[in-house]
Amino acid sequence: MKKLLFSILCASPSLLFAQGSQVNTQGVRALGMAGAGSALFTDETSIFYNPGGLAKMDHNAVSAGISTVMYRSAFKESGSNQVYNTRSQVTPPFSVFATFGPDNARWKAGLGVYTPYGGAVDWGDSWPGKYELNHLKLRAIYIQPTISYKLTDNLSVGAGFVYNIGMVDLARSLPLFLTDGSSAHAKLTGTGTGIGYNVGAHYNFDNNVAISLSYRSKVVTKLKKGDAEFTVPDAVAASFPDTKFSAELPLPASLNLGLSVPVSDKVDIVADGTFIQYNIYKKLVFDYADNTPLLQDTEQIKNYKNAFSGKVGVNYKANEKLAVRAGVGYVKTPVDKDYVYAETPDNDRIMGALGLSYAINDKFSLHAAYVLQKLKERTVTSPVTQIEGAYKTNIHAPSISFTYKW
Amino acid sequence: MKRFQKNIKLYIGFAALALAASCKPSIDIDTKGGNPENVDFSKYIAVGNSLTSGYANSGLSLKGQEQSFPNMLAQEMKKVGGGEFLQPYFPAENYNGSGFLYLKALVNGQPQLGTVTDHLAIRGQTEDKKPLYIKYTGPINNLGVPGMRLDMAFAPGIGTTKGNPYFERLLPDNAPATTTYVDFATTKDHTFFSFSLGNNDVLGYATNGAVTTDATNTLISEQTFTVRYTEFITKLTSKEQKGVVATIPDVTAVPYFTTVTRQALLAGANAALLAQNPTATPFKDIYIKTKTAPFRAATDKDMFILPFSSAGLLGRQDLKDPATGIVNPAPYGLHPANPVGDNFVLDEAEAKMVQDRIVALNTTIKQVADSKKLAVADIYSFLNKVKSGYQINGIAISNKYITGNIFSLDGVHLTPMGYAIMANVFVDAINAKYSTKLGKVNVSQYGGVALP
Repeated sequence: MKKLLFSILCASPSLLFAQGSQVNTQGVRALGMAGAGSALFTDETSIFYNPGGLAKMDHNAVSAGISTVMYRSAFKESGSNQVYNTRSQVTPPFSVFATFGPDNARWKAGLGVYTPYGGAVDWGDSWPGKYELNHLKLRAIYIQPTISYKLTDNLSVGAGFVYNIGMVDLARSLPLFLTDGSSAHAKLTGTGTGIGYNVGAHYNFDNNVAISLSYRSKVVTKLKKGDAEFTVPDAVAASFPDTKFSAELPLPASLNLGLSVPVSDKVDIVADGTFIQYNIYKKLVFDYADNTPLLQDTEQIKNYKNAFSGKVGVNYKANEKLAVRAGVGYVKTPVDKDYVYAETPDNDRIMGALGLSYAINDKFSLHAAYVLQKLKERTVTSPVTQIEGAYKTNIHAPSISFTYKW
Repeated sequence: MKRFQKNIKLYIGFAALALAASCKPSIDIDTKGGNPENVDFSKYIAVGNSLTSGYANSGLSLKGQEQSFPNMLAQEMKKVGGGEFLQPYFPAENYNGSGFLYLKALVNGQPQLGTVTDHLAIRGQTEDKKPLYIKYTGPINNLGVPGMRLDMAFAPGIGTTKGNPYFERLLPDNAPATTTYVDFATTKDHTFFSFSLGNNDVLGYATNGAVTTDATNTLISEQTFTVRYTEFITKLTSKEQKGVVATIPDVTAVPYFTTVTRQALLAGANAALLAQNPTATPFKDIYIKTKTAPFRAATDKDMFILPFSSAGLLGRQDLKDPATGIVNPAPYGLHPANPVGDNFVLDEAEAKMVQDRIVALNTTIKQVADSKKLAVADIYSFLNKVKSGYQINGIAISNKYITGNIFSLDGVHLTPMGYAIMANVFVDAINAKYSTKLGKVNVSQYGGVALP
C-alpha cells in the first residue's frame, strides 16, 4: 500500500486545426455563386481569387466585407438515443481589399487582408467525446501585398506574398475529477505565423470568354510558445504545470482553374475547379516545453488526402444597378474515414448560394451573398476516444461587403 | 412603410432566429420497430442492494442516489416509452445522507481518507447506537437497499430498527415488524424490473475475511440461494413481466481485495524499518492466521482486505490479543507469534471457496433467468473485463484503486462513471434479449474518484 503509485494515464491534450472546415468568404460576389467566378470578376477580390486578374481593373477600389459563418454540427453515439449539438458559434471571417495604380497603367498593386481558414466548434463538456475536444476556435489571417501586370490586352499575370497570422483556442476535458464532480480540463491558446505566395494568370478571348488559372502555395504556420493551461485537482497539479507548447500546421496548396462564358449581354455562366493539395497534412505533433509522466508530447495522425472542389454559377445583370447570381458546388473531403476528429467532423459537402450586387451610386456598391453548405452524415470511430457515432454538419454563411471605387 | 421601418430590427431578429434554427442539422433517432416483444417500460422497478441504491464511498448520499445506475437506465427508458422513476431521496438539506468517505489528500502518492459528517440524514439511533436515517415512505421505483441479501429478503424484522436501517427508512412507522423485503418489492405493480440481489450473500462473508460474526456475513449455500432466487423471481414475474437480472462479481475483480498485497505490505514495513535502522535485517514474510493454521507465512495468493491498510496495525507491538486481552509484544503480522487476524485476510483456500460459490450461484442466476425469459446483465464478466483494464471514451479504466476510475473509495462500490458503464451492460443485455432499442448512457457525463 505504501507503494501504491498514483499514476494516472491520460493522453495529453492534442491540437488540430480545422482545415477541413474551410469556408471561403473572401469575395462576396463570387460567394453568391458558391465560390465560382474567378474568371468573371476582375476586381479587388482578385487579390484572393487570382492575382493575375487584378491588372484588368480599369479603376481602383477598396472593399470591406464580413461574413457570419455559423457551424452547426450534430453527433449521435452509436447505440445512443441522444443527439448532441454544437453550441451556436459564429466566426466572423472578414476581408479587406484595396488596389493602387495609376489610370491606364499596365500594372496594378493591391493589398488584401482576409481570413481564408477559420472555424469554431463548441461541443461543450457533457458530450461523449469531451475527452477529445470541448471547443476549438481557429482563425488564420492572411496579409497579402500583390502586384499584377498586363502582358497584353488579353493576358495578365500577378503574384502576391502571403504572411499568415494563425490563432488557436482549444479546450478538452481530462479524465481527472474535481471535488465538485466536474472533470479537469486543458486549455491551449496560441498564435503562430507562416509565409507563402499566391500567383495567377488571367486570359480573356475577344469574345469575352475568360480563363483564370491560379496557384496558392502551402503556408506552414508555426506556433511557438503557445500557452497550455490546466485546471486539475491540486493533488496532481505538479504533473500539469502551466507550460508552453509548439506545433506546426501546414495549410495546403491549391490550384484553381476558372472559366467564364457570356451567354448573353446580361448573363454569364462561370465554373471553377480547385485541386487542393491536402496530402501534406500527415500528422500533427504537439510539443510541450515541460513534460511530466502525465503530460507527454502527442502525435496525431491526419493522413489527409488531396481534395477537389467544383463550383458552377450564373450571374445575371438585371439592370445598370443590380446584378443577381446563384451557384452550386461540391467539395470532396480531404479527411479519411479513419481520421475524423471532433473539431473537423468533415465529409463531402454540397453547397448552394445566392447573391446580389447593387450599385448605390457611381462610387459605392453593396454586395450580399448567402451560402448553405451541407456535410453528408458520416458514421466514424474517433481515433482519440474510439467512440463510434454519426456526425452531421450544416454551415450557413451570410455575407455582406461594400466597395468604394474611383 | 414607417411601421415596417420601425419594426425592422424585430424582423431582422426573427429572420436571424429562423436562420439559426434551420442551421441545426438533425440525425435520425430510429427507435421504431424497436420493441417487437412489446416490453413495457412504463413502470420499471429496481430491486437490489447497495449497487442498485447508488451507494458509493462507503455511504449513500443524495448525489449517489441521483447517479444510481437504475436512474440512468430509467432516463433511457423514458425515451422509449418508460414512465416516471421515483427514488427514495434524502432531503435536500441532508444531502450527505449516511456520510461517506472522501479523499483528503495524497501524501507521497498515498491516499488519505476522511469521512463526511455534515448535512447527514440521520434521524436517531438504534439501541446498539447504530444510525437511523430520515424516512422516505412515498411511492418509489428504486428499491435498492444497501446491505440487503437474498436470504435476508425473506426474513421478518429486517425492516425494523433492529434490522437494516436502509430498509427501515422506506417503511411507514406503522408497518408490521413482519414485513419482508420480498413482499415490499413484489407488490409495486411493476411492468419491468431489474434484479441484483445475491452479492452480499457471498461478498458479505468474503469482505470480512471469510469470518462469520452475524447474519450479514454468512456464506449462503447453493441450495438456499437456488430456492430463494427462484422464489423471488417467480413473484416478480407473476404477471409475465419482463426484466433483467445481474450476476455476482468475482472477489478478485474488486480493489477491496486486490489493492493491499503481501508485497506492498512488506515493502511498507521494510521502508519504515530501514528508516529507523539502516542495518536491520528486512522482513521477509507477513504472517497470517487461518482457519486451519494458528499462523503461516502469507503468499501472493492470500488477499488482504482494503481496510487492513488504513487500520495501521502492521508492525504494532502494543496490541492486545483478542482472546486473552494481554498485550502481544511481537510486531503484528511480522512475527509468527502475532499473525494478522483471520478477518483481515481472504486466504487462498477461502478465496477459492468463495470464487467457486460465485460461479455456482451465477449458473443458477442464468438458469432461472432463462426459464423466465429474462435478460442477464453479466456483471461478473463485465468486472472481469475491467480487471485487465481497457479504454472507454478516451478514459483508461481498470480495477485499480482510485486510478482505475471505476471503483469508489470503498473498493467495492462504483463511481458514477462505473455505474454508467454498468448501466450500459444492462442496456446491452435488455436490447440483446428483447430486441429493444434502449439507448446507451453517455459515460462521459459521469466522473471517477474526485481528487482533492
